[in-house]
Amino acid sequence: MDYARFLRQRRPLWDEFARRLARLPDAPARRGGPPASSYAEVEELAFAYRQVLHDHALAANRFPGTGAARQLSTLALAGTRRLTRRSSPWRGLRHFVRHSFPAAFHRQLGLLAVATLVFGAACVLGLAVAMVQPGLGSLLLGRRALAGLEEGRLWTESLTTTVPPAVASSGIATNNLGVALAAWSGGLLAGSVPLYLLVLNGLMLGGVIGITLRYSMASELLSFVAAHGPLEITLILVASAAGLSLGRAVVAAGDRPRAEAMRQAGSDSLQVLLGCLPWFVVLALVEARISPDPSVPVALKVALGLGLELLFFGVALAPFRAGEDADAP
Amino acid sequence: MADLDRESILALDNIRLDLPVAGVGSRCLAGLIDGFAVALLLVLWLLVCAALAIWLSGAWGVAVGVAGIFLIEWGYFAGMEIGTGGRTLGKMALQLRVVTSLGAEAGAGALLARNLVRDVDYLIGVPLMAYDPLARRLGDRLAGTLVVHEGRRRAVLLGRVPPSWGAREVTTVEGFLARAGELRDAGARDEMARLLLARVERDAPELLAGLDPRARGNPVEALRLALAAEEG
Repeated sequence: MDYARFLRQRRPLWDEFARRLARLPDAPARRGGPPASSYAEVEELAFAYRQVLHDHALAANRFPGTGAARQLSTLALAGTRRLTRRSSPWRGLRHFVRHSFPAAFHRQLGLLAVATLVFGAACVLGLAVAMVQPGLGSLLLGRRALAGLEEGRLWTESLTTTVPPAVASSGIATNNLGVALAAWSGGLLAGSVPLYLLVLNGLMLGGVIGITLRYSMASELLSFVAAHGPLEITLILVASAAGLSLGRAVVAAGDRPRAEAMRQAGSDSLQVLLGCLPWFVVLALVEARISPDPSVPVALKVALGLGLELLFFGVALAPFRAGEDADAP
Repeated sequence: MADLDRESILALDNIRLDLPVAGVGSRCLAGLIDGFAVALLLVLWLLVCAALAIWLSGAWGVAVGVAGIFLIEWGYFAGMEIGTGGRTLGKMALQLRVVTSLGAEAGAGALLARNLVRDVDYLIGVPLMAYDPLARRLGDRLAGTLVVHEGRRRAVLLGRVPPSWGAREVTTVEGFLARAGELRDAGARDEMARLLLARVERDAPELLAGLDPRARGNPVEALRLALAAEEG
């Protein structure tokens, strides 16, 4: 077949396919709503797509580089994109909370244990160093905070006295969300960023506890963090574990190709991260409004802290039906 | 089976389909345009928050401002790509689109994943794209996506061709006719057209037989008429 005859015979079909493709609705039909296209229309479109693909193969082989080959390549790609797209994996918030998030969380429990161990070890180290090395206090907290501790005041009081609660909530939420996102995405650098954040935060927490112990202010500190601290630490550990799973896929993909390991780790860890993000907003409200408020009894803060922790693990460790967790990207 | 290069996928019926993968240059240019868009959005948002601070209270203005800045910085790329099926303003300007590695439309999860790791890609994304034949940054590898050119380039299709011509001759003439209007040196353009007409006359004189004598004065037009060239 010569080029001109090929064009004469086949071009009307390509133009018709392009017209049909342009008429195809952008969004898939809603469940329960009227179908976007009739069965006959879909069948005709699929048939035309197959013909375009065959013509594209012929043109790429017999007439490479020509206008027809380029036009068919564009058309075949557009058809592939529009006709082979998957239906949205998003099956609603309820499904995500009850199935996708717990399933992904279960798959990351091993790495959560690793993250907890690293954080715990750094915390103990920070505590020990702060106990034996008093100079660490000014390095971690600054001289003004140390002067406050000597006068029997925690530096956290400034949260209520200098910054309005609305501003503090917003700042705390965005900061914690930023840290969680950095811990997750930084996992792609061979897991170095989540490891760094775990060690740094562990050292900081241990060091701060050690310093307040030296000034006999540890009980005041613990009453301040009782409401938000447990869950905040848990969420940082979970986000870091999600980052470590990305790092593991990059460094040790195992038997699978690295690209496939990264896609699977990305899917699982992203679901875990998305399940954690709303909790940071709740925590920011608690940390800015309830934690620094001296009128709230310590017992209530402890109960709130435990309640939030139990609620999170209740959702994350909830039993799920196997095979219902296919919310992969 | 033909050798498959890495820019090819196997579509329906195992037919090879070449993906016009966008290179590092067009990706960076699109990123630059998006960077300007983000900066503009941030400025607009700060103006809105300043107005909010005057009308409501300073504290609420700052609180909403901080949250909005965070959302714009982290959400612009993912939000735009999810909302438009894989395009941001920069990609729209350069006619690029994110698709899966199989050429299909990328889902919301994949688009979210590839954009939430953007900060890491600011560090190592460009060398990775330059090194990879598919110009994938880390986010693309994580989400299993590619960025492709989707714009239809202006093409000229020849409706009549001398029987002895192959793809090389057709491509040459189609390419010349597609760009003839952009050539500034009219003398050189007409000279090239006359050379091509001479080749047509040698290989298939019957194609020039019925040509309007007035068209001969304009060799580009004569070539167009002789080969029944049309915009594709």
